[in-house]
Amino acid sequence: MSVAKEGFEPLIVAFCCNWCSYAGADLAGTGRMPYPANVRIVRVPCSSRVNPSFVIRAFQRGADGVIVAGCHPGDCHYHSGNFFTRRRLSVLRRLLEYMGIEPERFQVRWISGSEGAKFAQVMTDLTADIRALGPNRKLRDAL
Amino acid sequence: MNLTEKMRQEAAQILESKEADLVIGWGGGEYYWQSPPLFLEDAAGAAELAFSPFIVNNLAKYLLEELESHEKAALFVKGCDTRGINRLLQDHRIQREAVLLIGVPCAGLADREKLKAAGYDAGLLQVERQGDSFILTLEGEEGAREVPAGEFLLDKCLECRYPNPLVYDRLLGEEVQKPRERDPMARVREVQKKPVDEKYAYWQEKLSRCIRCYACRNVCPACNCRECIFDQNAPRWVGKANQLSEKQNYNIIRSFHIAGRCIDCGECQRACPMDIPLMEINRKIIQDLTELYGEYEAGIDPTDVPPLGTYRAEDPAGFSER
Repeated sequence: MSVAKEGFEPLIVAFCCNWCSYAGADLAGTGRMPYPANVRIVRVPCSSRVNPSFVIRAFQRGADGVIVAGCHPGDCHYHSGNFFTRRRLSVLRRLLEYMGIEPERFQVRWISGSEGAKFAQVMTDLTADIRALGPNRKLRDAL
Repeated sequence: MNLTEKMRQEAAQILESKEADLVIGWGGGEYYWQSPPLFLEDAAGAAELAFSPFIVNNLAKYLLEELESHEKAALFVKGCDTRGINRLLQDHRIQREAVLLIGVPCAGLADREKLKAAGYDAGLLQVERQGDSFILTLEGEEGAREVPAGEFLLDKCLECRYPNPLVYDRLLGEEVQKPRERDPMARVREVQKKPVDEKYAYWQEKLSRCIRCYACRNVCPACNCRECIFDQNAPRWVGKANQLSEKQNYNIIRSFHIAGRCIDCGECQRACPMDIPLMEINRKIIQDLTELYGEYEAGIDPTDVPPLGTYRAEDPAGFSER
């Protein structure tokens, strides 16, 4: 696990719900609020669309951090999707920590369509956290 | 009349009266510690049934396959097995009318490994329960020896909370009283205390042993999907390569798929040929669900709603909600 931290650019996969967080990312863009290019967005219809297998697979294929972003509780476009997300991913996050994955590497946040600045801030902070942690080698496929 | 005789009599009568066209029970094996599942369609076969302190198989999962070719199946069940029955009922995988449940109260089963460790394995012919003791029938001059049962029980039996069947049509023998002697969450807390890299190393050592035989999935009453994602080719959720990451993927997702539905029977861990402590993962999830969303035990009441199948607006989150 001795990988040089110099010149390390983290790869972050962000699963963003179509109705809130993706719109938040859009607003960050149109509002010219910069956030690191390390973040690769995958648009999903709802945060509850994020199968735990997606998270594991992202780490397998080289992600250094994964974030799932959805509407605030009560604001789900489909009424209750993010309430299920909250329960499911809370358990997954604790499970990954139990399996030895640093909890900073898997985040869940609520970001609404009007929170462009929050989107940029969350992604900036996350990138800084992951950069400090260094490259992820856990759960990764053999090269 | 002992339990073996009662089991035989019950099975023969059920098949003769055509109350059910199949009886699933436990048979005797070549060695004292074997108790293979037995599938009977003919009353004459009932004589092969045998009760022993090794009837550890949870027979519930066999119903899925057997009920495709049988009208009604009679099944012998212990307390832990009945939680599997409730699991299948709750998941709408079996109909209550299609099963005849013969409950067997269970005061705890014997652990061959513990007998071995005490030097009893070689020359042991039979183990019988008598009150608080196991009577060991030995080869040669000594004949028989009485040992305290508590010292040779399976760990999961020491942690058992339901020695008597929760759901049954008939009960063989008397209900038993059996206090829980060990905290099942003790191991989880120990592993949890390790620093994060040590936890990773711990699980790396355990999971690298996995040969992905899927015995843990096959035996699990909660793993009852009609088509399992691990068998699918498109999309292929878990790769075929023999490498650690796929073993981790499989084991994390397997335990997550039974989150809130695991009946805590420990069959996955027993079936594992590589001695992976799978219950330490399953119980971690049970513990977290309890901490976050309230006390819940799966397989007790088939009409309740498992914790990941519902929500409350005021639920706490396991992550920052700022």
